[in-house]
Amino acid sequence: MENVRQQGVLDHLMMLERAGTRRTERPQHSRLEELRNAIATLHVKRDRLRIETVAVKNLKQKMDQGMPLEDHDYGDLLQLEKALLTSRHMKLKDLQSAHSLIAGYDLMECNQGKSVCVSLHTAFEGVYVETYNMEVDLTRTVQISRHNIPPYVPLEMIAKQTLQTDFKGFLQTLSLHLNALAGRKQQISLIMELGTVKVIERNQLCNFLILMCKAQEESETVLCTLEYGDLTRYLPTRVTIESENTTLVESQQWRKNRLLLLEFPVHCALLTMRKMGSIA
Amino acid sequence: MDGQAKTILQRIIRKIPNKKLEVTLKSWDRLSTEQLESLDCTQPKWLFLENLISRCGEKRLGLKAVTKLEMVYYIDNPNQGTWQAFQLMEAEDDAVSVSFTQFRERFKANLEEDFRHISIRMKKLEDGAIWIRIAWGDNFRKPNHLKPTYVVHYLQTPYVFFLNFMSKHKPFLYEALFRATRHTSIKEAHLSGRSLTALRDLVMRQYQQVFPTKDRTLKERNGTPLHPNIEKEHAEYAERRHQMACEAFGDGILPKLERAVYKLETRYRGNSSNTLNDKDELFRGVVKFSSSNLLQSFHHCVATGIVEGPVTPLLSSITQKGKNYFVITDKVPGATH
Repeated sequence: MENVRQQGVLDHLMMLERAGTRRTERPQHSRLEELRNAIATLHVKRDRLRIETVAVKNLKQKMDQGMPLEDHDYGDLLQLEKALLTSRHMKLKDLQSAHSLIAGYDLMECNQGKSVCVSLHTAFEGVYVETYNMEVDLTRTVQISRHNIPPYVPLEMIAKQTLQTDFKGFLQTLSLHLNALAGRKQQISLIMELGTVKVIERNQLCNFLILMCKAQEESETVLCTLEYGDLTRYLPTRVTIESENTTLVESQQWRKNRLLLLEFPVHCALLTMRKMGSIA
Repeated sequence: MDGQAKTILQRIIRKIPNKKLEVTLKSWDRLSTEQLESLDCTQPKWLFLENLISRCGEKRLGLKAVTKLEMVYYIDNPNQGTWQAFQLMEAEDDAVSVSFTQFRERFKANLEEDFRHISIRMKKLEDGAIWIRIAWGDNFRKPNHLKPTYVVHYLQTPYVFFLNFMSKHKPFLYEALFRATRHTSIKEAHLSGRSLTALRDLVMRQYQQVFPTKDRTLKERNGTPLHPNIEKEHAEYAERRHQMACEAFGDGILPKLERAVYKLETRYRGNSSNTLNDKDELFRGVVKFSSSNLLQSFHHCVATGIVEGPVTPLLSSITQKGKNYFVITDKVPGATH
């Protein structure tokens, strides 16, 4: 290469061109030969691995049954341990990816072990919603260095309670909060898709909602106020129904509707109410 | 229409470019459609202003309507002047459940208690922002509408942004905010700039942050290679630098900051035998970075390799902590409050 540098770029390019043309001159069937050799080597490798697996399986069986090990087995012992470790590692990795698939959280080591990056996934009714990330510094005390969690989620409060003492619990609580928030947000956008119900007031944390619907029979407007006192749940803790027509509110149908709103996600409850003819 | 109203109207109309005049007046919602159609936005501004004043006179629109127009203008063009960010601290337990109506009632009641003459206008936007326009008077003088203070607060977050904020009004405004939002103290967030959207995006983390993820290779970013014989030798380096820049400053459209100020209160540490070395006093200095889009410039410097990585925490603190004013002392190697 030193020589080439002294000669210059053009000479280097010419040399590469010569090498390229030489390569294409080789006949086609040499490629076939290469592939055949590859097949043969792979066959050999496969047979060797088969023998090894059988030996390891036998050893494991012997150990499980509590039979005494013979001398020649000790050589295989190391292999067995290695195999067991590998299988355990793979199992744990699968568990981790399964956990993140079911909208759990994912941890990744970064900065050579000095910090960890947590990815929190959220989902509602089988649909992925959003992913939040958080970088946690582990050098002296456990500290959150940065994150993209919106400020209306009470992160500092949760961190104060559990971050130092119980990291897993902290992640669990945070994941509950974020999933519930995602659920409440999704419900509101699904209500807007319904069309006939109007969202009069909402807030960023989606824990206070006022809906306006039209009662089917007398075309009167009914206001439903939903308060979500528990931020880790996507169902309301209190539902108030108001209307100018007080008899309508007191009627059995609307009492049932109130219970529907308490027990089911808003958009499902509203759909049911529409099907039953309570609202337009 | 009195003199003050005319002055304010003139100021606003001068600022709005001709193309946006019609849209702004329509969202003002004070003139009828016929009146709007009769106005010609292509006229020179002074002529347009006179026609507008006569239309307002037909509808008997006065100072109140003009202040509404000013607020509409600021809401549509929030990126002017110098906004300062503040953070409310020590929330009480019911701070999270304060609704807009509660906030408005308590805020107005509090300020009207302290000031006999004050004019407060409030509006809540779709994205949860509450805009407040305050024209200050006192016990003897009427509110001065030529120097209003604008306050923007996002409910259920501790962030408040001020524009044209005079220090003599601070204690009253703070008190009103405490009562209305159920917090007990406020501190400066050390973040100021021209663009309200940028400040908001920084503190509420609404820009595109980049975290170290499992798949660090952004293979898809470059797309298919142009030609199979062409290979970018430095692709890996370029990608690593890009990742470093994105992790420090974000990706995509970055919040538009104009400056970052670092106030040094450290001791001089040099190798030469300068007289500065022996002094026990602090070496006071100020380092100021300014640019039309500061974060974009930093990002570009790191991504193209002009600046060597890793990015110093002094610079990445701008996005990580959401501040652009830092005081650096000797004890802590990074930025302090």
